[in-house]
Amino acid sequence: MTLPSHLLDAIASAAVREGLADAVYTRLRTPIGTLLVVQGEHGVVRVGFPEESEDVLLAQVAAGIGPRIVASDRELAVTRDALSAYFEDEGESLDLPFDLSLVRSDFRRAALKTLHDEVGPGAVVTYGALAARIGHPKAARAVGSACATNPVPIIVPCHRVLPGSGGVGSYGGGPARKRLLLAHEGATVRG
Amino acid sequence: MSKVVLPPFWSLVDAHGDELLVHARRIAGEANGEDVLQDALLRALRAYPRLRHAEHLRAWLYRVTTTTALDHHRARRREILTDKPPEQVSEPEYYDASFDDLIGDLPETTQAALRLRFVEDLEYDRIASRLGCSTVAARQRVSTAIRTLRTQGIPA
Repeated sequence: MTLPSHLLDAIASAAVREGLADAVYTRLRTPIGTLLVVQGEHGVVRVGFPEESEDVLLAQVAAGIGPRIVASDRELAVTRDALSAYFEDEGESLDLPFDLSLVRSDFRRAALKTLHDEVGPGAVVTYGALAARIGHPKAARAVGSACATNPVPIIVPCHRVLPGSGGVGSYGGGPARKRLLLAHEGATVRG
Repeated sequence: MSKVVLPPFWSLVDAHGDELLVHARRIAGEANGEDVLQDALLRALRAYPRLRHAEHLRAWLYRVTTTTALDHHRARRREILTDKPPEQVSEPEYYDASFDDLIGDLPETTQAALRLRFVEDLEYDRIASRLGCSTVAARQRVSTAIRTLRTQGIPA
């Protein structure tokens, strides 16, 4: 048993309107499964794959940016529409505001920011090349960690980062999803 | 950030929302329950980051809902009796005064039962042992008192 949805919606919207929500979340059905999207004041802070525990994920957000977290599809309509458009149309780029507050180190934040700003849909980059772009050519492994702990996959496109040895390598959402996203964007993968 | 680790607020709404709505309707009447609960949860949200610990959150939400229901009741009664604009809504921490005001005219034993139920948030068996009566009698005392309060002005 839960409250009627009109009441939940009204409470969540009032909370957002009155500036009482640290974050709002929504569940969005996509071709790669139902994603949990959590948005704070400055943008999306977390995107979760279906395999992740929702409780753990939301607790992580609560600890990171604050516990006043509410659910609302309506308040995140713009974000939902942008993600849906990305999945529906090939070649549709995804440009949503995001917030890397949940990322623990400046190095990782720099790697993710550069990846987002410089590697567009259809393009790919190797871990080593991305490391070089942020001025640490030997830090391919550390860039791998930054991607593995990317709190906002898809929006910050860690699926476009590949091992120099070929193949798609690993992915937080599993290699199959990485292949799907790359194919959807028309990117070519060696090996 | 405070050191207290509070759960995401919506997990409390998911877990306790339905029983809080029942509670709000019981005090404020069927028609006002949803408004009272919405207001109560917004008040709770406002106070949430200031909580000093993460224990008894369900009981805390019950108290906030009770206070909000009583404040709604007082605001409505004021609208009927005077032209005075309603004063600033009180923060959940200060619920005791309005509660005491409201139940002040009731018999002593009834007041005690209401306080145990809604301020201390005790279950009826605990109320019974505190009052030295049966669980049935404790339940009856509380429900009779709520009916009395309602006939004094809360539209059912």
